[in-house]
Amino acid sequence: MADNEKLYHNLKSKTIGLKSAAELLEKCPPEKKDKVIRLMREAAQDIIMLLTELEAKPKS
Amino acid sequence: MDKLQILVIEDDELIREVITANLAGQSIDTAGDKATAERKLKTGHYDICFIDLLLGENDDYSGLKLIPLAVSKGIYSVVMSSCDTEETISQAYALGCKEFYVKGNEVSNIAAIIARYMQDDTGKNAQKIFSTDFITNDPATRSMITEALKYTQGNLPILILGPSGTGKTTLAKLLHEHSKRPGEFVASNCAAYTEDLLEAELFGYKKGAFTDARETRKGKLSQADKGTLFLDEIGAMSRNMQTKLLKAIEEKSFYPLGSDKPEYSDFRVISATLEDMQKLLTEGRLRFDFFQRVHGMTITLSPLAQRKCDIFPLIGAFTKKTKRLAFEPAAKEYLLAHNWPGNTRELKRFVEIITTGTDGQITLPTVQRHLPRSEAASGPTTITQAQYDHALEHGLGGALDSVAAEIINRNLSENHGKKAATLTQLKISKCLLYSVLAKSKTTERK
Repeated sequence: MADNEKLYHNLKSKTIGLKSAAELLEKCPPEKKDKVIRLMREAAQDIIMLLTELEAKPKS
Repeated sequence: MDKLQILVIEDDELIREVITANLAGQSIDTAGDKATAERKLKTGHYDICFIDLLLGENDDYSGLKLIPLAVSKGIYSVVMSSCDTEETISQAYALGCKEFYVKGNEVSNIAAIIARYMQDDTGKNAQKIFSTDFITNDPATRSMITEALKYTQGNLPILILGPSGTGKTTLAKLLHEHSKRPGEFVASNCAAYTEDLLEAELFGYKKGAFTDARETRKGKLSQADKGTLFLDEIGAMSRNMQTKLLKAIEEKSFYPLGSDKPEYSDFRVISATLEDMQKLLTEGRLRFDFFQRVHGMTITLSPLAQRKCDIFPLIGAFTKKTKRLAFEPAAKEYLLAHNWPGNTRELKRFVEIITTGTDGQITLPTVQRHLPRSEAASGPTTITQAQYDHALEHGLGGALDSVAAEIINRNLSENHGKKAATLTQLKISKCLLYSVLAKSKTTERK
């Protein structure tokens, strides 16, 4: 998979994960909620990094 | 209900959590990389496996490589990926994955997958079916039955074709059991009755409807209400009877003999025959509209001679609750070379004889004694289907003449046309030889 392709794939994958987790969060048992929020936070940071990387790419 | 054993192969911890949460109530195991997934697939026992295609940074679709391993272990494999290019979808299906989803709708998709797996008999249930209910290791037969099981819950009529003794009734019962229809499985052999008797048998009759009708009797159609009506040997049914039955199938109502009040019955039809349906239609023995009504889905069961991989599993099943049998290698070879013209029924009879009358390991002479040499030809059957059809069309005399002519002409050709050699070798009269030659010349001129 080309770098650019991989970048978009990762972005898509992370945002889908975040969306699915958000749907799950409301019904999440309390003992799991903290873990899911932590993972969502990490996914959000990954998304920011990916978007930064994407912005830095030469526009063509 | 037992918990399903599920393996989730996903490198992203958040998505792993999401999938796991949506599988609450099942027994879940996870793998975050290819090596762990391979190890777990090889050593564990799973019903379903969710596979992500890209496992980790710089991964080259290693999820695809896990599909054949999961499939080979009989695991229902589902791909959940963000890579949904046409190429990856085709590749995943070609490798044996059952379902492919794009990540993102886990709540509804996972519920649908589990529901389908529970209904679908291609997974764990299929293993049980083919090892207990309809024993077969033949891939083509398995695939056909698996396909048919998908249609059991509708009202689609099913037609089962195949020679006598191949398990048509067993299969019909299996299809009924999986239909979840609350009514009974009611079987009727159309070849066992005259037209009048079959009508009484199917539609029932009122007391006094005919001389022997001493009491009112429910017909098979009524008995099959909310269940399945299995019509065996439908090719033997008269055209008149087909018309009456067609009406009853379409309207789900009928008049018992001697009654002026209709009866209603919600039955599903499964029919079977050993005859060639196309031939029955061509000869006008089967009404086209009746055929259309009973052949929603067609399953053709192969003779045992074409699925010899089933011989020993069937023997094992027939002796499961009785004395187990062991055959010496030469006896096994003999059994595999036998053509089994009576199919499973013949095998069952053979097993009954052997279990009753033998001790210790079964030897070749014992098998030979119960399966005569002539039937154990290692080549194809001596009578071809074409010859058999020819005999049906022209009578046995005509068929024998045709076979005799073929043998004589071949022998003449092998003897470079020397009639004396043919007369000696085949021990035939001059009269027969010249009659065959005359017929051959006439055919050539035509």
